[in-house]
Amino acid sequence: MVQLNRQYDRDEESASPISIKVVGIGGAGSNILDRMVLDGSEEIQLIAINTDVQSLAGSVATHKVQLGRTLTRGLGSGGDPELGLAAAEEATEEIRKALEGGDVIIVCAGLGGGTGSGATPWVVQLAKEEKALILVIAALPFTFEGRRRCAQATASLEQLGASADAVICFENDRMAEIALPRMGIHEAFAAADLTISRCIRAIVAILRRPGLLKIGFDDVRAVLRGRDSRGLFGFGEAVGENRAHEALALALKNPLMNRGEMLHDSYHAIIYIRGGSNVTLGEVQTIMEELNRHINDRTKLFMGISVDPEMGQRLSVSIISSLGSPVGPEVSRLPQAVPDERISKAKSEHVIDAGRSVPDKPAEFPEPDPSCSDALLPEMDIKRFSVPEREPVQDKESAPPPPPKEPAPKPASRAPDVKKAEAKQEVLPFEPVSRGRFEKSEPTIVDGQDLDVPAFLRKHIKFR
Amino acid sequence: MGRENIFVGLEVGTSKICVAVAEAHHDGTLKVLGVGNAPSRGVRKGEIVDFETAKRCVHDAIVDAEEKSDVEISEVYLGITGGHIRSFNNRGVVLLEEGREEIDEHDLEDVRTNAREVSLPVEDCILHTIIQHYYVDGQDGVLNPVGLFGKKLEADFHVVYGIRTRIQNAIRCVKELELDTADVVINSFATAQAVLDKQQKQLGALVIDIGGGTTDFLVYVDGAVKQSGILAVGGDHITNDMCIGLKIPTTRAEKLKSEEGSVTLGTAFPGETIVLRDETGFAGREIERELVNQIVHLRVREVLEIVRRLIDGEQNLHYIGAGVLLTGGSSQIRGLEDLASEIFGMPARVAHALPLAGVTSAFENPQFATALGLVKYAHLAHLDRPLEGGLFSRAIRKLSGMFRA
Repeated sequence: MVQLNRQYDRDEESASPISIKVVGIGGAGSNILDRMVLDGSEEIQLIAINTDVQSLAGSVATHKVQLGRTLTRGLGSGGDPELGLAAAEEATEEIRKALEGGDVIIVCAGLGGGTGSGATPWVVQLAKEEKALILVIAALPFTFEGRRRCAQATASLEQLGASADAVICFENDRMAEIALPRMGIHEAFAAADLTISRCIRAIVAILRRPGLLKIGFDDVRAVLRGRDSRGLFGFGEAVGENRAHEALALALKNPLMNRGEMLHDSYHAIIYIRGGSNVTLGEVQTIMEELNRHINDRTKLFMGISVDPEMGQRLSVSIISSLGSPVGPEVSRLPQAVPDERISKAKSEHVIDAGRSVPDKPAEFPEPDPSCSDALLPEMDIKRFSVPEREPVQDKESAPPPPPKEPAPKPASRAPDVKKAEAKQEVLPFEPVSRGRFEKSEPTIVDGQDLDVPAFLRKHIKFR
Repeated sequence: MGRENIFVGLEVGTSKICVAVAEAHHDGTLKVLGVGNAPSRGVRKGEIVDFETAKRCVHDAIVDAEEKSDVEISEVYLGITGGHIRSFNNRGVVLLEEGREEIDEHDLEDVRTNAREVSLPVEDCILHTIIQHYYVDGQDGVLNPVGLFGKKLEADFHVVYGIRTRIQNAIRCVKELELDTADVVINSFATAQAVLDKQQKQLGALVIDIGGGTTDFLVYVDGAVKQSGILAVGGDHITNDMCIGLKIPTTRAEKLKSEEGSVTLGTAFPGETIVLRDETGFAGREIERELVNQIVHLRVREVLEIVRRLIDGEQNLHYIGAGVLLTGGSSQIRGLEDLASEIFGMPARVAHALPLAGVTSAFENPQFATALGLVKYAHLAHLDRPLEGGLFSRAIRKLSGMFRA
């Protein structure tokens, strides 16, 4: 089955690559585009949209659209979103032409300014008419930029959340954590742009690159489309002996991930591992095992691996996810016309949904809903186990892509072990009071408490 | 017999036995000649529970110190701890007899004796009566009343007492190694001598010595010992908590504690683990870092909170101006300073023994603070009271004095 799958991937690759367009709106948007070009982007169409002619002229994007030719006459929108919107409406035809034919349109903008927060919703609206998958990457202003800008950004974000397929927010306040406070302001902004451009590149790579374990367009959509469309993104790259661990740690350290805490609250996550031809089974296993601890039992994990000789000794890990529960109908729409393993997945998804509607606080997971985890387990197993069953033996003989083909199964086979271990720990606090090695020594009693008994037992602290 | 101006401090700790050897110079300085140590066995919560084993360990430590310092040890100042040791403050009063107005040395002795006259349980004996302040005819701020005129001499003392038999165990252990015990000093008092300078004592300071089996604390206010206490909870309890909580053997827990243990919560990634490698008799395992930290945190927080409650109960907390000084082997646990500052609401830091001349490496390790404090105490005691007779007779006098109920 898998053999077939691979064949399928190749065909698709050679036949019709998805057309991806990246649109940068406003000053911040075009900065990100510039950064992408600097870092050497793939063949993606870059479109800069701005009211400010000067900034547009300085942009390196291949396509440029000037907004408000008559309205602002080449000047900026002066921080007024209404002006930004009016300017965008004026250039509707031009924008439409630029967006034409895009399968995936990634819109990046800095919200808070006039053009950014005014024109972006309009552009997204137009993109939607193109029937493209729309991904908005929004940079939110620093709190110190003032309440007004923040309010504009929030308003605009709400609009975007309603119309776009997914929104990934980069909060500048959090982005500041990437840069050291004493870093030059220029460097700090560059670091922020770099993170955003990495995010875009990772998504593009996921969509474009022929993966050994392929993540499809539909998977990306499922992951990013949530009721609360704030996205999470983490990227890490490392070299050396311990690169798997380090790359994942870096990815989780990303400010948007909040050290991995945010992952707990998400329902879907894509993990995309990319490395040179020397990626080993052990490395993939390490990454997946570690990641499994960061996600809650209900999270559906999509794993993609791609081998790219360009990467050399480097190994990169990208994690993409979104907060909040997924929109119901979206999930059920997913499995259409996919191989039968997907159908079984869809079934289990329905079960999950039913189970999930009871506890509506996704953040609380100390006692995982049994119906959920049970329902999910078969699904995970199918997805991960289906690969190995026939594979390994054949693979050893067949030529180029095999090695990382094997990695997938292992983490899955270990995953249940991890779960067991976790379950065991939960029982821990209920054990009878024990004094351990102080059993026979004179008790130390202060305020009626026997201090020889572990503090956590006396305080009835329940460990997760 | 060693040289006369050699002082040796011996601390029989729960996890480690430390010996410091120092030499007093004529100019009043003290030079550390060497320190010795040996892992301790047969000691629980600061007290000997297996005499023969403990004796062998003390012997090892003494031999180690002798080799390092090139001194033959014959007499030691012994550090004492244990949950049975208690303390209180008491005031002694002496009225000068008619016709005499000048206070002399004997009055000082009398006022001390007077302060010791309290009813203690029969099995207890007094370890220390540490002078706090003198008052002459109700006037305070008298540093040395000898030679002053007055009718009434009063003095506040900090009295430390404990169960006699249990103190004797430690002394007997030393005695069986053919060593004399020059004096018995509670660990916290010795430690304070090592880590506090005069200014800090004046400002008010809290010294917390978190050792293997006990947590000893001592409060200095206005240059005098105001409060002391011993809680029989220490690093061993952290290890034990980890054994029970994580289900790992003691030796492994001990190693995990010293290598990874931290009291800071929320710094580990959720799901971040520590890998315990498999070794003989123990299959490898992964343990969640946050879980480890939580166990350690809860225990350490509890200990510090009890100490805080005790100090606050005597209204001493507000008189501590120089902050909290943490020492002892378990003070090396990560994040302790921050946790202690949070709990006590004042700056806290891990303190090393104040430098003396000689072997400097000893000062960098908080484990040696008590042993060094003992030699410092010995030195001060030596300066205070010029010898009447030989060392040996003095020791006998001290010891016999100590056991007077």
